[in-house]
Amino acid sequence: MDKIQIIPDLKQNLEKIKELSGNSSDILINEFVTGGINCALLCCEGMVSTSVITELVLEPVTNIPQQRNVRELFQYIQEKLLLSTDRPTAEDYTAMFRLLHSGFAVLLGDGTGKALAFGVQGYATRGIQEPSGEGNIMGAHEGFTETVRTNMSLLRRRLKTPQLVMELFVKGEKSKTDLCLCYMKDRVPDNLMKKIRSSLDRIRLETILSTGYICPFVESDQFELFSSTGTTERPDVLCSKLIEGRVALLVDGVPFAIVIPRLFCESFQTLDDYAFKPYYATFIRWIKYGAFVMSVLLPAVYAAIVMYHPELLNSTLLMLLAESEKKAPLSIITETMGVLLMYEVIREAGIRLPKPVGGAVSIVSGLIIGDAAVNSGLISTPLLTITALAVISGFVVPELNPPVTILRFAFLAAGGFLGLFGISLLACAVLINICATEDYGFPYTAPLSPFAKKGMEDTAVRSGIRKMQSRGFTVEEYHE
Amino acid sequence: MNEITRNQLAAMLLITDAFALFCFTGSISLITAVGLTAGVFLQMLMAVPLIRLGGISEKPAYIFYLIYLIMWGGLLFGMQWKTSRHIYIPYENSGGIWGKLLISGLIAVVCLYISSAGIKAMGRASLIAAFIGAVCLLTAAVSGLIHLDPENLVRARSGRSLLEELTTGFALSGGTGSFAILLGITKGSSSKNAAVYFIGKAALTATVTLTSVIVAGGIMEITDFPVVTAAQVSQPFPSQRIDSLFLIVFAIFAVFSIAVQAALSAYILGELMPKFVRFRSSVSLLLMIGAAFLLWKVPLNSVVIGIGSLAALFAVPLIVMIFNGICARKGRT
Repeated sequence: MDKIQIIPDLKQNLEKIKELSGNSSDILINEFVTGGINCALLCCEGMVSTSVITELVLEPVTNIPQQRNVRELFQYIQEKLLLSTDRPTAEDYTAMFRLLHSGFAVLLGDGTGKALAFGVQGYATRGIQEPSGEGNIMGAHEGFTETVRTNMSLLRRRLKTPQLVMELFVKGEKSKTDLCLCYMKDRVPDNLMKKIRSSLDRIRLETILSTGYICPFVESDQFELFSSTGTTERPDVLCSKLIEGRVALLVDGVPFAIVIPRLFCESFQTLDDYAFKPYYATFIRWIKYGAFVMSVLLPAVYAAIVMYHPELLNSTLLMLLAESEKKAPLSIITETMGVLLMYEVIREAGIRLPKPVGGAVSIVSGLIIGDAAVNSGLISTPLLTITALAVISGFVVPELNPPVTILRFAFLAAGGFLGLFGISLLACAVLINICATEDYGFPYTAPLSPFAKKGMEDTAVRSGIRKMQSRGFTVEEYHE
Repeated sequence: MNEITRNQLAAMLLITDAFALFCFTGSISLITAVGLTAGVFLQMLMAVPLIRLGGISEKPAYIFYLIYLIMWGGLLFGMQWKTSRHIYIPYENSGGIWGKLLISGLIAVVCLYISSAGIKAMGRASLIAAFIGAVCLLTAAVSGLIHLDPENLVRARSGRSLLEELTTGFALSGGTGSFAILLGITKGSSSKNAAVYFIGKAALTATVTLTSVIVAGGIMEITDFPVVTAAQVSQPFPSQRIDSLFLIVFAIFAVFSIAVQAALSAYILGELMPKFVRFRSSVSLLLMIGAAFLLWKVPLNSVVIGIGSLAALFAVPLIVMIFNGICARKGRT
């Protein structure tokens, strides 16, 4: 729909609207006369609040005294009636339909090519609930919802400063999705904002249905194993990122916010770290680092050691493993690959199936398949333990789960075919890929490499809040 | 412009130096340790012209460094082939020549991937790799000290004089070519950057050579690769061996040290031929493999390599400095 100007003649105008909308059933047109002028109030069914539109728009609008022409009528409405706080105008059908489809009531008058719109949105939305993926003990239990404006309010409630800027704009040729760029104007350099805006300008999508549609446009074109943009469903986490000079992008219809840039070490930080005592938070953080390494390497190292480097084991452990592997009919690498693949199948089934059936899947997989496979001698118990440990370790850093899953298989293949040598070679390739990951000049591996001593205060350990307070960290410190 | 940090510069170069030490053939004695370490300080003094220049950026000099880097990369590639015989790599021992080719091919592929990622990314990765390597080497050193046999210090004999060991030190310092190029793209003061590198190198050389003498001093005469043997002999636990861990360090250092030469060769190629954009790393690596065949019989600690290192560290920068001085004087008059 190119920008076609609104036809001043009301009858022709309404015909045109019906034609453009394909006489869609959800477009409601109410024709009436007010102030002596023929008017029509348009709204989209289900998108507006009936009570709000009746009380705040219909009642006042129909009680307007006699006016000389439509121009005076619209002037009267705009200047003397405060029908809603959000009152944009439209002069072409593209803008008018966008407002209509966003839950605005649109007032058209006979003899004018202008449409007045009133924000009376009242569509059904999910309330603010606890985030499903970012569990937290001590912090807030509020998560983002699907409505961008609600999400904006969640941020504003936590950062009541004029430095927090939220820029709304529309993307998606068909979906006309509202996007909101959030940043602290005193913390983010103009240059970075310019670059991000120019990246977003490259979006030519028809629809934007998840954050995954946007991320490729704000990430580098290079092949990156780990994503250099993060997502969060927690407003408190996002606020901490904004304070650190990061930029966030809220997408209407998605309860996640995109964070630019994202660093590798951030995947191991949770809000709870800052609620506990530093020594405990440091301990937990190292548990997470260990869990990450285990989730990627444990099956591969197990296969490599058992197949090629048994001298690394002490004699008792070696005998134990030899005894159990002796009974297993398949080779260690086939066995490990099989167990890992089975786990992925079960996991996928558990996610996609309805919740009651999902529980049954867990029972079938955990008790029946697992127990039966071990009892029948198909899988050795140590291997099952190792695989389970690797998989559970992966849950500790859920955000990194997709690359970790693939890397687990890749390392297993490398370890199975070439032992520790193969693992080392692949580790070099993965390391260089991670180190080459960089967006807008922020290295993904900072503050580890390039090494920043100050950054270690919240990476290697978790320093006390008093110490961190005096530091005034912004991510700009890592910019190269 | 690729810009790396001081730590990254040191990490990239120390990995190369450590790998050269791993591939060191012949005996190591206390005199070797002293000679090699003293040689590092001598190199530091000889690097003054280069430090004053702040790295090499002159095109005629680039040609020398390109040839040097390719030759040194080829030597390292060849040394990896020869040394890996002594380290247990699955498929290599059982697969014969095809196994060896597979291993070398894989190393080449990973080197190509690393070098094509660029110097900046490689610098960051080298820092992490160097840290991992340092942890593993320190484990070997500490476990060597646990089983310290002081008699090994006098028992081990290399049969070379202190002067000869100094020359050997230069021969093992093929990284000087990389140093000359990298110094120009490192942030901060050149003298500080160089000091960090040379002090790190002295510490590394002293640690590796002394650990080798302490651990493998008694069997030095029958050892082909003393550092490899020392890593294999030094075991911290009574009932389990950790020499496979050395395999990890060896693989990582081999890959990074060759990749550094390939990436820098590609960088110089880009400077010399700006229109040559694609496949620079591939061409560099192919040239290195060719050089490996050419230099197959040249030992790592030969005098020829020592002279090359000396030229890269001292002679060429000095010539460039004098030439620049003459040009500047002519420009003024």
